[in-house]
Amino acid sequence: MNRNFILKKDHLQPLLRKLSKTHRLVAPVRNDFGDTLFTEITRLDSAVIDLQNQPQSSLKSFFFPQQETLCSYIVDKKLNKGKMEYSFHARLPENAPTVFFGVRSCDMFAVMYTDMIFLHQHERDIYYEQRRDSSIFISIGCNRPFANCFCNATRSGPFLDGGFDLQLTDLGDRWFVETGRPRGVRLTEEWPGFFTPVSEDDKRKQFQAELEARGLFRKLVHVDLAVKLLAESEPPERIIEELSRRCQDCGGCAYICPTCTCFNISDLALNEDSGERIRSWDACTFSGFTLMAGNHNPVNAASERIRKRFLHKLRHDVEKHGRPSCVGCGRCVEMCFGGVDIVRFIDMLTAAGENGLQGEK
Amino acid sequence: MTFGSGAMTNSIAEIEHAQVVLVSGSNTTETHPQIARRIYDAVDNGAKLIVIDPRRTQIARHAHLHLQIRPGTDIPLLNAMMRSILDENLVDDLFIEMRTENYFAMRDKLYQVDISQAATICGVDADSIRLAARMYARAQRSVICYCLGVTQHVCGTDNVRSYANLAMLTGHVEQEFTGVDPLRGQNNVQGACDMGALPAVLPGYMPVADETARTKFQRAWGGKLPEKPGMTVLEMTHPADGKVKAMYIMGENPAVSDPDLSRVRHSLDHLEFLAVADIFLTDTARLADVVFPAVTFAEKTGTITSSERRVQLLHKAIEPVASAWPDDRIIMELSRRLGYPMDYESPAEIMEEICMLTPIYGGMYHDRLDAEWGVQWPCAGREHGSTQFLHKFSFARGRGWFEPAEHQAPVESADADFPYILVTGRVYHHFHTGTMTRRSQLHNREYSQSLIEIHPEDAEKLSVAEGEHVRLTSRRGDCAFIVTITDRVSPGHVFANFHFTEAPVNFLTVKQSDPVAKCPEYKVCAVRIEKVAA
Repeated sequence: MNRNFILKKDHLQPLLRKLSKTHRLVAPVRNDFGDTLFTEITRLDSAVIDLQNQPQSSLKSFFFPQQETLCSYIVDKKLNKGKMEYSFHARLPENAPTVFFGVRSCDMFAVMYTDMIFLHQHERDIYYEQRRDSSIFISIGCNRPFANCFCNATRSGPFLDGGFDLQLTDLGDRWFVETGRPRGVRLTEEWPGFFTPVSEDDKRKQFQAELEARGLFRKLVHVDLAVKLLAESEPPERIIEELSRRCQDCGGCAYICPTCTCFNISDLALNEDSGERIRSWDACTFSGFTLMAGNHNPVNAASERIRKRFLHKLRHDVEKHGRPSCVGCGRCVEMCFGGVDIVRFIDMLTAAGENGLQGEK
Repeated sequence: MTFGSGAMTNSIAEIEHAQVVLVSGSNTTETHPQIARRIYDAVDNGAKLIVIDPRRTQIARHAHLHLQIRPGTDIPLLNAMMRSILDENLVDDLFIEMRTENYFAMRDKLYQVDISQAATICGVDADSIRLAARMYARAQRSVICYCLGVTQHVCGTDNVRSYANLAMLTGHVEQEFTGVDPLRGQNNVQGACDMGALPAVLPGYMPVADETARTKFQRAWGGKLPEKPGMTVLEMTHPADGKVKAMYIMGENPAVSDPDLSRVRHSLDHLEFLAVADIFLTDTARLADVVFPAVTFAEKTGTITSSERRVQLLHKAIEPVASAWPDDRIIMELSRRLGYPMDYESPAEIMEEICMLTPIYGGMYHDRLDAEWGVQWPCAGREHGSTQFLHKFSFARGRGWFEPAEHQAPVESADADFPYILVTGRVYHHFHTGTMTRRSQLHNREYSQSLIEIHPEDAEKLSVAEGEHVRLTSRRGDCAFIVTITDRVSPGHVFANFHFTEAPVNFLTVKQSDPVAKCPEYKVCAVRIEKVAA
């Protein structure tokens, strides 16, 4: 059972200060160049926490960095009676208790999704787990969705029912607080002075804000219809080809996507005897992603490179996990040079689907 | 020369509002993706796209009309287009009357042009030429974007003039959403030119021969400045013996990038002294007596001027790694030891001097650039705004000058001994001589081999298959590549890039260059192809 509280806006900064004594604090911070990014806050008083703009990046890189050293290796000549052998030394990241503040619903949902990928039953990725383990998420429901948002269509917002530790709703001068996972409950118990009881009026206002938010989306994206069409048949080649032709092969969509988790592992030789094994982000739109020995490539980059990306999000993950893995954050819409974002794909697909139905009549 | 200054006349963001975009000699999607996105947007908004390119590039695949001309035949094509515009009375008479000079010479020249003859020279059909002319001339807002496919020819200057002629003939210049836009390549090549890193001009394109300009700089700098233009890169890397004794090369890799490499390496080897500043030990740096480790973009503060004349401030993100120095510090220290002390405390102080001495950069103070998203030159002073497009109301040189041009065949053409034409260029995943991108695991995975593009018909003739090795030989040298078979090139033509130090294509290329710009003809040389064992 979720518990509800009120946190006065004036008391947010003092609360964060208390939390920052025992935790690393990460929040959307606007930097000197006007960009809002999730940033580790070292000095709370000078950091500009920006809750008015969508953070340009998601939380992905905090748990799954763009590049990380998995282990180092050395060629050890003495190890096995004079024979050369490699020895590997793991480099595990630090497990730092962290409070992630100001996480939007889509990004919160994305963390739950990447948990499924990296922490699936016994197949646990220790690097991810180490970073993820002692995190606390204070999320914010979106009263006012941003320009490219469509999380209502992917059912990953604007408010969530669970997954967060605390979820805040903006009620003007105060935050309405809902507890989620046990860590959130403990946090309210640990700092009871900050979390005061709610009134019936507060609850009504929170309910109203949630209702209103659903009506404020500027984009109407038919995600369900797209999922249905893809479950029934292959997407028209014309669409795949046109979007593949427009794709500029930069990988920006996969890098910015909170749920894209493909990676590559490569060895970086530092000198003749030692080196590092590095994991870095990869993208299925790159032709090297599917390139095989002998230069054979099952995917024709020029005409098919985007097929895997959209089918993964809207078909394969539906089959595997019961829902699309797009969280509707809209970042790829802003990111893509060539206009090859998922919204465009869904629009083209559903338009073609409607025409197809009309054609049958 | 035709308009009076060397830069994009208009701004990048204007392209998406054009009705017709004519792209020539530019593999825009791979080399200027940020421009390509604007072209896509324009096409989405209903614009027509014309591409002039010997290769069927990705942007050519988007085109409503692709004129796949033979390399080096821009002038006959453009003359034929202009003739067609004349014939169909699509000329902008008012613009020509009010804003241009020498039109009658141009018109007389065009009356001698035979469109079907030009079509034969170019290898495209006459109707397509007429169609392109009609498309370009009939729209109100037509933009021309061109790149190195136009300039890297012995007739590069005349090629550019011809595009300018076309724009003036139809009045597609001096206004928003029109213009003639050269797409500049390497980061800050525009800024380097603006700062006088050209042999004949001082900063701000003031000729060294101009005494007033010289006096101004002499007062600021002390000492005496040379009255005659210096040497171009090619004159330095292909000098008459013993002419150049010492060189200081910064962030440039002529031992891979300059044409006719055997000569270049010979020249560099025979210098009495060579110093190189770069971020990696390049092929050129390996030949040096002294190497200065320079910092990367992330370790220094300064400005970059983009293709559209926009001066943008870059902030240092990390402290210099190890013993690397920023370029300004290396130069100041060198200068001090050579007996001319320079003492600028910061790049901002250097910029103050630039503002003082270079009128087009008059208001480019760092604090101002920091507050705005860059400023486009000309910008005369702090109060002067950014300049979106050039030549508003009048060209920099007063009136635009029509300079009729004549077809000039490339230095080499295919013959019995060297039956194929090699075109050189770039690929998406690598930058220039690959000194940076070849070190990136991801870039290297995406494009790991020095490929030569061969048309399926030619591959059959040569009986080579995908992935096999071939040796290309020209009159100057030879170089081995791995075959990729594609219809991006037309039969009789092959394409290679110059990013791979293990396959330095410039051993093959010709050093002959345009007489005015001194830009070598990288785009055409005759080669023979032989299959070799891997």
